Amino acid sequence: MPQDRKAAATDRATEHDASPTADHTADHAGIDRLVEGLVPALIAKLGTLNVGELEVRQDGWRIRLQRPAGAPNTHGRRLADRAGQRSHVGQESLGGPTGARGSTQMAAAAHAGGSNGSGGPSLAAVGPGMGAATDHGPAGSSDRDGGEDRRTVRGPMATSPAVGVFQPGSKAVGGTRVRAGDRLGVVDMLGIPQDVLAPADGIVVGVIVDAGTAVEYGQELVLIEAVAAIEAR
Amino acid sequence: MFHKILIANRGEIALRILRACRTMGIEAVVAYSEADRESLAVLLADEAICIGPADARRSYLSAPAIISAAIVTGCDAVHPGYGFLSEDETFAEVVGAHDLTFIGPPPAVLDRFASKEGTRRLLGGYGLPTIPGSVGMLRDDEHALEEAERIGYPVLIKPSAGGGGKGMRMVRTPRELESAIKVCRSEAKSAFGDDSLYLEKWLEDNRHVEVQVAVDRFGHGVHMGERDCSVQRRHQKILEEGPTPALSAAARAELCERAVQAVVAAGYENVGTLEFLVDPSGEPWFIEINCRIQVEHPVTEMLTGIDMVATQIRIAAGEPLGFNQSDIQPRGHAIEFRINAEDPAHEFRPSAGVIERYHAPGGPGIRMDSHLYPGYEVPPYYDSLLGKLVAWGPDRATAIERGRAALDELVVEGLTTNVEIHKALLGNETFLEGRMTTNLLDRVGSAAFLAAAARP
Repeated sequence: MPQDRKAAATDRATEHDASPTADHTADHAGIDRLVEGLVPALIAKLGTLNVGELEVRQDGWRIRLQRPAGAPNTHGRRLADRAGQRSHVGQESLGGPTGARGSTQMAAAAHAGGSNGSGGPSLAAVGPGMGAATDHGPAGSSDRDGGEDRRTVRGPMATSPAVGVFQPGSKAVGGTRVRAGDRLGVVDMLGIPQDVLAPADGIVVGVIVDAGTAVEYGQELVLIEAVAAIEAR
Repeated sequence: MFHKILIANRGEIALRILRACRTMGIEAVVAYSEADRESLAVLLADEAICIGPADARRSYLSAPAIISAAIVTGCDAVHPGYGFLSEDETFAEVVGAHDLTFIGPPPAVLDRFASKEGTRRLLGGYGLPTIPGSVGMLRDDEHALEEAERIGYPVLIKPSAGGGGKGMRMVRTPRELESAIKVCRSEAKSAFGDDSLYLEKWLEDNRHVEVQVAVDRFGHGVHMGERDCSVQRRHQKILEEGPTPALSAAARAELCERAVQAVVAAGYENVGTLEFLVDPSGEPWFIEINCRIQVEHPVTEMLTGIDMVATQIRIAAGEPLGFNQSDIQPRGHAIEFRINAEDPAHEFRPSAGVIERYHAPGGPGIRMDSHLYPGYEVPPYYDSLLGKLVAWGPDRATAIERGRAALDELVVEGLTTNVEIHKALLGNETFLEGRMTTNLLDRVGSAAFLAAAARP
């Protein structure tokens, strides 16, 4: 994120937010702690646990990570929920209520900021889009920012390249940084392994289909949090 | 009997097979491409599985994708429908190698009847009059010119694989042959993945009559009468009826009897169709056998009351036919109108789009096999068949009247269909008198045919 835009974002936040500057400083410090400690751990945890959602409250902040709605952990009668399949890459795949979607984005964005060691200012830049995840925040809502460029993260899905049996690879572990085209696993189609590839640069949030599960073509397998902001720097 | 069948096809035939499975108490899984996610067969299926993208080569024509889908869904048989892999002996063989049953002739039988040119010679050896043609596949242009010279022009260039008129051209001169052969090769390659071509003598003013047969694993065979498919446009059938008005009852009975005797003797198994051209003197000439369920099978079902798809499934499961020739008593007359997403006013160019309104006609003797529903988006990737309207009556005149009323009642809005050509046919004297030949439309051109029909 270019420096001038970060500054502009902070300015706007200040204009709209009547709270004193001291509160902002406290917020930023809180965000820093989340970024550097909690969020990466949470992402990794969600990736390994067989649960749909994690929520942690700390210092007046609340962080919630949620798997996409309709992403089955077990193999149903119909192999994949059709509604879920319809949008295998894109915002809808994060599913669920808007708040949950926002919180997943928050997690990834926060992690991105932390891993780059940029601290508070960079979070301020991504912060406005993440209001839904926080009980209180510097900017509050994404509506204020409005620009496409601020939606730095979406939740692309690595989908099945074939109909067959899924086997996740070593990179399909929550918290792992991957690049577009990295192999996240294979789908075995009649003994021919077909590579499951990361659709974008980002961080693996979790594998949503168990190893050894039968999957259909296009089925969502691995949730990635793409962080365009990382690459933009 | 099978426990669970994978339906490896789309459109109306996927729905037809699903219905057969339901009535037989067999579970079914509809295999579909990404473009067919909202198709009626998928929506109505208890279970469906996406096997690949819209491109048929990676979905409906992909043997590994289909077989893998059958295995992971726990199927024990694969129904290929028509077109796609329905007559591919290699596919049937690979299906068998994975302990699945191919619903159709066993691989060895398919292999024996795989080459249309070879089948002509095989069945010629069992007493069927066969149309003169090239010996073997055409190696190159020179070979083609030699063979055409020997057979005598005009000749018909035909692909060894597939059907539906793709890759077929009638040529009258060596020069036409040379230019057409390239087009045919590329059409055949893209449609069937096989560009082998052969030649057949072209009969002027021919009629197309086909005999439906069924033979079980125990060599017990019956015929289910014949169908007349003379109404064609550029070798593509658009209207089929039975019985044929081209032959007398005695000639029809003889043709059907000879057909079933020849295929039983040649070791055929399962349902199949023997196609003949009938020359102006009424002599039939065998041209090819179709080793699959055919688009026009409802004509025979309306006449005989036999469920052809169920029969096909039972034979593939190794069951005996369960009825004799004397049990088959065709009644009345049936006409099938193929409703295609094509614009007859513009050289039948295919149309695609969202079905805004749809109403299927009803009434005595009317059957509509279609995968349409309001809101359905007809994808542009596949063939243009939207459905089949079948009219049955105790005689041909009644079937025609019922067909006319049903065509008037049919509503398909949102894209252009070929319904006008059917209405024009039902006002055409040659058709009404049952004298139509395969060039009825092509001789004048479909535009001129429609214009003539519109004149009072």
